Amino acid sequence: MTDSPYWNPRHETMARKDVEALQVRKLRNLVEWADSQVPWQAKRLRDAGVTADQIRSLDDLQRIPIMTRDDWMQGQVEEPPFGSNVAVPRESAIRYHMTSGTTGKTPIRVLDGMKDWEWIAEMWCYGLWGFGVRPRDVLFVAFGYSTFIGFWGLHYAGEKLGCLTLPGGAMATDQRVKQIVDMGATVVASTPTYALRMAQEARALGIDLAGSSVQRLILSGEPAGSIPATKKLIQEEWGARAGDTAGMTELGTIMIYIEEVLDPESDRPVAHGEMGERVVTSFGRGFIPVMRYRTRDLVVKVPGMSCRCGRTWDLYEGGIRGRVDDMKLVRGTNVYPRAVEAIVREHPEIDEFQIHLYTAEGRRDEIEILVEIPDQEADAGGITARLEKELADAHEALRFGVKQVDLGTLPRFELKAKRLVDDRIVIGTEGERRAQV
Amino acid sequence: MTHEMKNLMDADLSESECMLVDVYRQLARTLEMYGDELPPFARRNGLKALAALWQVMNGLDMDPGQLYHVGA
Repeated sequence: MTDSPYWNPRHETMARKDVEALQVRKLRNLVEWADSQVPWQAKRLRDAGVTADQIRSLDDLQRIPIMTRDDWMQGQVEEPPFGSNVAVPRESAIRYHMTSGTTGKTPIRVLDGMKDWEWIAEMWCYGLWGFGVRPRDVLFVAFGYSTFIGFWGLHYAGEKLGCLTLPGGAMATDQRVKQIVDMGATVVASTPTYALRMAQEARALGIDLAGSSVQRLILSGEPAGSIPATKKLIQEEWGARAGDTAGMTELGTIMIYIEEVLDPESDRPVAHGEMGERVVTSFGRGFIPVMRYRTRDLVVKVPGMSCRCGRTWDLYEGGIRGRVDDMKLVRGTNVYPRAVEAIVREHPEIDEFQIHLYTAEGRRDEIEILVEIPDQEADAGGITARLEKELADAHEALRFGVKQVDLGTLPRFELKAKRLVDDRIVIGTEGERRAQV
Repeated sequence: MTHEMKNLMDADLSESECMLVDVYRQLARTLEMYGDELPPFARRNGLKALAALWQVMNGLDMDPGQLYHVGA
């Protein structure tokens, strides 16, 4: 069985009807646990008229109230510091992590017990094994190892798999690149942005990453890992296969869950093949039981049979397509940063970019794309002109200004990139004042 | 020690899987009943092993429940 393509053949190839029966069983247990251990959850369930013994099919899931980030944050305000969704005394926890805070300023705080934390690593193992990572691999983790959960779970999964696992924390980018090469790393984990940053650094150091021993890149933390043009660029720079993973501090890295895709407005399920918001129920973390958590991630779910790998789980075609709250309205046109990046990355001459929104003449929304083009021989004027046209064509003729800026002007990122800067002092076209200026 | 065993989904477990289930149950019982009597090295390593074996139980669909009351 050591040559199995599956980490857990029983789970990964289970007939769909059995997957659903197992999910119902686990859901019933989770409702019972939350109801008995978390007064806050018990009240929500009682108000919705839900008891564990009433859970008989996945349709019953719809009766459980959806949980939001705001609910979580409110719980932290009412019962600081860990909130009202904690099922076990803090003394039983062995790990504390928090969000990186990209959406809100106050981080979400999570606790894990010993078996919860093992489960987090276990979920990563499903993904790593499925992507071809094996005990013989040398895994370099290009990550800052802070209280941000990031690649912590992957690190422990690497050890569990038997990989030689190299913790790449507290190192400058050039040191990381050199160690990857010197140690013969075969797998590298990083954010998509940082994979590109390391490739830039390697070029500056005269290191041929594509000729190195790296065969696989594990990407996480940003939608860019599933943007075809960005993924292609990363794969070319590294001469390696790139695989994207989806996770959240609140949920862990997502493998064995109940995944719903709902219309973000109506909260009704959307059909396979239609875009909607992921709403996730997690089974492994009893410390913080999470049912129907609203992720704000936009996805398109398709049946597992659409892949030939033999797994019966549903898939997210194209990975995470963006976030519900990422969308910006510019002169009446919806602009998604992910869509802009997909177009920008079609131009490999562009090293780094930034989406800049600002208010012109005190009343008009404008959007400009600032780009760095390091190659002095490149036709920068032609590239920016083509990019302006392509962006306009993809956005109902919305005018984008594309400007070349000096090399090194734009910020570089190690974790989650923040390439959108919204400096508008009004929103819309009628001068409605922004709440935060 | 070996015997037939089915999981929650009414699927048969293999002989080697049954053996792991037995080890888990024995370890869980030992820590629950005698955890306080064990010296720190024995209890804490036992709990760490139990947390790892919980993943096996979960992966075999044996409904292992929670372990916080034992300390894992």
